Amino acid sequence: MSTSSTTPTHSLPVVSGGDMKNPASYKTIHLLSRIAGYFILIGLTLASIFPLVWMILMSLKDRSETYSGSFFPSKVTFSAYEYVFENLNITLYFWNSIKITLVTVLAVVFLATLAGYAFARIEFPGKQIIFLILLSTLMLPGAVLIIPLFLQLTDLNLIDTHYGLILAYVGGGLPFSMFLMRSFFQTLPSELVDAGRIDGASEFGIFWKIMLPLARPGIATITIFQFMSTWNEFIFAATFIHDPLMRPLQPSLFAMVGRYSTNWPALTAALTLSILPIVIVYILMQRQFVAGLTTGALKG
Amino acid sequence: MTETKRRALYGYLFILPTVVFFLVFIAFPFFRAIGISMTEWAGYDQPRFIGLKNFINMMNDRIFWIALKNTFFFMVATTILQTIIPLLVAVLLNAGWRGDVAYRTILFLPNIISLVVTGLLWRMIYDGNFGILNSALTTLGLAALKRQWLADPSTVMPAIIVVSLWASLGFYMVIFFAGLQSIPPELYEVASIDGANSWQKLVHITIPMLWPVTTVVMVINIIGGIKVFDVVYVMTTGGPNHASEVLGTYLYVTAFGATGGGSPSMGYASAVGVVILILSMIGTAIQLRLTGRRTDVY
Repeated sequence: MSTSSTTPTHSLPVVSGGDMKNPASYKTIHLLSRIAGYFILIGLTLASIFPLVWMILMSLKDRSETYSGSFFPSKVTFSAYEYVFENLNITLYFWNSIKITLVTVLAVVFLATLAGYAFARIEFPGKQIIFLILLSTLMLPGAVLIIPLFLQLTDLNLIDTHYGLILAYVGGGLPFSMFLMRSFFQTLPSELVDAGRIDGASEFGIFWKIMLPLARPGIATITIFQFMSTWNEFIFAATFIHDPLMRPLQPSLFAMVGRYSTNWPALTAALTLSILPIVIVYILMQRQFVAGLTTGALKG
Repeated sequence: MTETKRRALYGYLFILPTVVFFLVFIAFPFFRAIGISMTEWAGYDQPRFIGLKNFINMMNDRIFWIALKNTFFFMVATTILQTIIPLLVAVLLNAGWRGDVAYRTILFLPNIISLVVTGLLWRMIYDGNFGILNSALTTLGLAALKRQWLADPSTVMPAIIVVSLWASLGFYMVIFFAGLQSIPPELYEVASIDGANSWQKLVHITIPMLWPVTTVVMVINIIGGIKVFDVVYVMTTGGPNHASEVLGTYLYVTAFGATGGGSPSMGYASAVGVVILILSMIGTAIQLRLTGRRTDVY
């Protein structure tokens, strides 16, 4: 989708009426509507960012100042961050999240690309029906699966392990990413595959050497999508892992509130740290991010 | 082996891992959930088959009806707000402004933040004693409006809906924005020549041309509303006294216990899950009707 800079296609539909035949009055109305437009846009933007600014400012306060009600800290201090690193095990949770997310994303991207390619470019009996069955579960609510998945992981002795959580994430993420990759491969010319076959390349060779390099934009999309949903996932992680030392970030942040509910600078410092990597990557590659996160809604 | 057969074999090989994951972690659990919904089972004892009794019991379960009503309220409110407001913002933004990329970047930002962080952050903002919302009201001389926002049954659902809007505005706005960019500029030029004003262009060109995108946004909202869980669970766990209970939180608390009290019931919770499933299927059917094609949005 296009995220390129806006081209003004029509004037602002905020003010209507007025004497359009009189150029001076039209100009005034136009100017007023421009000013009103800026007001609304800037107001909305401030409303969007305000909670995050408040969070960061709170994290820079001294604990004694938590409930002072003032917006800005009277003195900026990083003691809350020191506290989080020293007492709240945040590096461990980060490490758990990185490990789980990395393995999940690699597995989903590799397997979904492979399957998406097969569904798009290889003929085999039963292809359509298998594809439709995989597709039919895209709308399946996670809530329906959480109980049986919990039982399943218990049966497999995978509760309280990262493996169990990763397996559940990969299983849940594969159909959607596979579907996106299939759509993507269908946009690539099939002559390339035929040419590879004539040259005697193996099917895996065609996939790996010819198609994969061309599929980079599609791979970027599913990587970002899977990365975000895994990093931010909460309820599977909270349900399948009970050992506090094994937990990734999200359920750990949730648990912190119970134990440190009055230490707002420490809580907001932990929240700030938890979103920092994602916000940095988002600002650096926002075009790919926005595309990756909205493609799913528009494809079909 | 013929070339075609050999190729087909590779096809099966390439989809095998995906199919195995699907069978073990989606298909089998799915049928198991339906099976469990027809049992009486605490999770540790022997499950006992009771047919549709869980569903019959649901009819007389006051909390289930509260959860259903709240889910419905959340779904309708978010679908209306999270369609109209992002649409208007996208139209506004599309008119061309200095710094529009910056506005878009910031408006989308809440969407990349996890619902846990979002929920916890807003819990502090809404805090009745020390939250910034009540402090702001005091500063503005509106102290009479101060509330225990999340502890007051009359404000808890609207408060959660505001958070949902905050978190998703940029997401839907970007979808509308992409739709706006694909409207041919000639349409507006012709309308201008015919003397149409901005309002007429909005009503007669922009909104009709955006209808396909609008249905997609509405459907994502409807299905998302039926499935709502994280933001409610993090902010209130369904409280106070079930005032913000939705089907998702009711299922979870019934199955795994949280603050609810009473013994866990995997059977009954799974039955609630089946209700969520049926409602999402209805949502998907509406989607197919509206769009007239097989689109796939989760």
